[in-house]
Amino acid sequence: MAGMLAAAMLVSLAGCNSEGSSSSSGSSSESSSASTSAEDMTDEERIISAAQAGKIGNWGLGNEYEVQALLTKYGQPTDYVSMDFTMDQFDQDVITLASAMTYNELGLVQNDYEGGYGYGDSVGIIDMNDEGVAMLEDMIFCTKTFAKENPNTVRAFVSASLKGWAYACENPEEAAEIVYAAGSSVSSDHQAYMASEVKKLCETDTKGNTVTNYGNIDDEAMQQTLDLAKQYIKLSDSAANEKLQSMTLDDIRDASYLTGELGTPEKTDVSIQLKWLPQAQFMGYYVAEAKGYYDEVGLNVTIIPGGGDIGETTAVNNGTVDFGVTWVANLISANASGMDLVNVAQVYQRSGLVLVYKK
Amino acid sequence: MKVLKRIINSKYFMVVLWTVLIVTIWEIFAFIVQYTKRTPVNVLPHLSGILESILSTKTINGSQTALQMVLVNAGATLSRAGIGFLIGTALGFVLALLMNLSGTVEKVAFPYLMLIQMIPVLGMAPIILALTGDIGTSRTVIAAILTFYPVATNTLAGFKGVQKEKHELMYSYAASKFQVYVKTLIPACLPSFFTGMKIAAPMAVTASILVDTLQGGIGLGCLLSQSLKGAMTRYVFWQIVLLSAIVGILSFVLIGAIEKKVCPYNQKTKG
Amino acid sequence: MDVKKLKSRLASVTAVLYPLLFGVVLIALWQSQILHKLLNTTTLILPLPTRILSVIKDNLPAIAADTWATVSVILPGLVLGSIIGYLLAVFATNSPRFGATGLTIIAAISAIPTVALAAVILQWTRDVSTDVDVRSYVMKLIIVTVVSVASMTLNAYRGLTELKPFALDLMKSYAAGKMTVLLKLRMPNSLPYIFTSLKVSVPACVIAALVSEYFAEKITGVGRRIRECILQAQYSTAWAYIVTACVIGIVLFAVLMASEKVVMRRRNS
Repeated sequence: MAGMLAAAMLVSLAGCNSEGSSSSSGSSSESSSASTSAEDMTDEERIISAAQAGKIGNWGLGNEYEVQALLTKYGQPTDYVSMDFTMDQFDQDVITLASAMTYNELGLVQNDYEGGYGYGDSVGIIDMNDEGVAMLEDMIFCTKTFAKENPNTVRAFVSASLKGWAYACENPEEAAEIVYAAGSSVSSDHQAYMASEVKKLCETDTKGNTVTNYGNIDDEAMQQTLDLAKQYIKLSDSAANEKLQSMTLDDIRDASYLTGELGTPEKTDVSIQLKWLPQAQFMGYYVAEAKGYYDEVGLNVTIIPGGGDIGETTAVNNGTVDFGVTWVANLISANASGMDLVNVAQVYQRSGLVLVYKK
Repeated sequence: MKVLKRIINSKYFMVVLWTVLIVTIWEIFAFIVQYTKRTPVNVLPHLSGILESILSTKTINGSQTALQMVLVNAGATLSRAGIGFLIGTALGFVLALLMNLSGTVEKVAFPYLMLIQMIPVLGMAPIILALTGDIGTSRTVIAAILTFYPVATNTLAGFKGVQKEKHELMYSYAASKFQVYVKTLIPACLPSFFTGMKIAAPMAVTASILVDTLQGGIGLGCLLSQSLKGAMTRYVFWQIVLLSAIVGILSFVLIGAIEKKVCPYNQKTKG
Repeated sequence: MDVKKLKSRLASVTAVLYPLLFGVVLIALWQSQILHKLLNTTTLILPLPTRILSVIKDNLPAIAADTWATVSVILPGLVLGSIIGYLLAVFATNSPRFGATGLTIIAAISAIPTVALAAVILQWTRDVSTDVDVRSYVMKLIIVTVVSVASMTLNAYRGLTELKPFALDLMKSYAAGKMTVLLKLRMPNSLPYIFTSLKVSVPACVIAALVSEYFAEKITGVGRRIRECILQAQYSTAWAYIVTACVIGIVLFAVLMASEKVVMRRRNS
């Protein structure tokens, strides 16, 4: 244990020195034994050594539960370093095990296009799905009241959106271009990368099985998400905490809008608030819009980009927008605080969160 | 020799001197960063790099170059900041006037004015959004809220700073309250009012950028987070930092120029 | 004489009483949800005072720890920034040409939005220490300092230069040196301006500290908690922390007002 710690410290020291290109060759020859042991490390050893050194990073703000579950799994305290918008902390070895979404930050770390860090294959990942701590992410939600009052609108919106997702997953390159044209400011290269990765999340479940029915709500994965949420979402408000602990699947998801006959929508002008800025993470909605799928079902849809501090849950609950895209854990904590939201289509079938490390 | 003296004594020599000084310091550090960091652009780029990115014709998204993108977003943010600033300034002046007219108003309002400043934008935003129903209007309103306090405080201080002798002189002329205000108090408080504006103008810009990040859409704040998170050249971020500094200088110089126009007599007392 | 004393005592009583009364009315409107109707909002977004208080009561130790984390950034930052700001103003007064132009630079730096400034300072302080706690603290401290410099410089410069007519001539006729003018005339003259500046920079520093915490690597502080809670739609907890932030501001402000009164009275007497 102590030896391993020493090795880990040596590696991190070597990492600090290797910032300049000239010094990296010198230090790697000196500590070659340490760097080979770093490559031979198991994921468990990696997690433990990074946790001990306080070099595990996550953004927090509701994105941290999977990482905390992983740390608990390996008997580590659940502290982590807060990551900013960028992957600079990982780049500069302030963090050795950094959170990354497969479709976004991981691409930036690996690829060398504009904004990328160009690490290529020299980085490895620890996948939350493989570790059994996956929580479900992007899905479509609205308020229960809205769904009850406008069942046809919800059904039409879900059906057209999922048709968009199906098309996007079949043609990720075209989908990426559609998003790019729709005003994304993420480069087209990264957009294409993102589309190809998002496709994987839509078509594979947490266990690695292929999913063919887009938007399917898999109760087993949903239950795992809820269980982890109950364990790791820490609420200071005792009333909210009680509500969280007594929450069941029926409080957060309703699969009935995925099937059934489409009727005349009660409300035709609807809006959807994304969780983040326009990018291929949300390609299904942009494709449905561009391909006229929303028109086909009689809806006029406005897509509102997110990425702000007024959360999508608040915006939907306020009635500022009708639908939203968020992560299941965010919906759970929103409902615990007294909101009345329901997941009507689970777009991503597995977790897109990984921990990335330098080999 | 004479030419040199004229250059040194010229009005703009100091501006040039400061510019050279800052550029030199920046570049020294940029060189250090260049040789010690793997991705120097993220930490501190060379000014030439930023300049290059400004002049670059490469498009970042479908249609805009880096500069176009920054300018379009800046336009949106700055117009919101401008309107918010005007509303905030007007409100600040009126409030200061009211507070000076009535001690009761001052006692009641002043602590709460300060309190409003303390409520973080994040807590205020959902309420204001629900109230206005429109994110654009909310952003302007918040910018106004965050700017009127410095104006009100400084103007009030200006009112209070008017020498008693002046006041008493006016009374001895049997001037009405209105006359006292128009002839002495308001002109006398103008320097403080302008100091308040000088402090508030950058605040309006800052506030406006901060509230951009409340929701996506067009605006410097959104572009700022995009440039850090998205796959976009980091120079967009540096352009924003540079632009906001330039806007700060311009607002300062502009208000200074207006001040000189409005109350030239004030200049004489400067020692 | 007695009337005057009574009057001034009355004034100081009303100075506390009026805002308190207003506060009571406000809280009554809030608790009775009339405020919610006026603001077109719900008790979810703007929780009732009783609910907020119960959250504060339940989480007192945690809130105290976060408050300390925030205050320990605000106070040194404010003091440091104000001192630097004042020194810069003195410098600008003594070398009117070079220094006065520098004022524009200060104004420009203060115009860089806290959000952008935080992102930049974060990058620049990464090598300060390998300890996350130290690194984060330095970063937050620098941001608060920078924010408080501008307000002080601009105000103090006015205080140092806008002298009473003929005061400077009088000093010169006494053959007073630059230093004497500074110490005997300019600095005392700038005293009220220092307080005006602080009245602006205290709230500004509180906000700057809160915003800097959004970006800091170490997860602590009132600002960070507010953001966390808002993003997770935990409005009652968020408001518990918002109230905490307001209390921090009010206490700092009250201390400032009290010291202004003491200092100005001593100066006038």
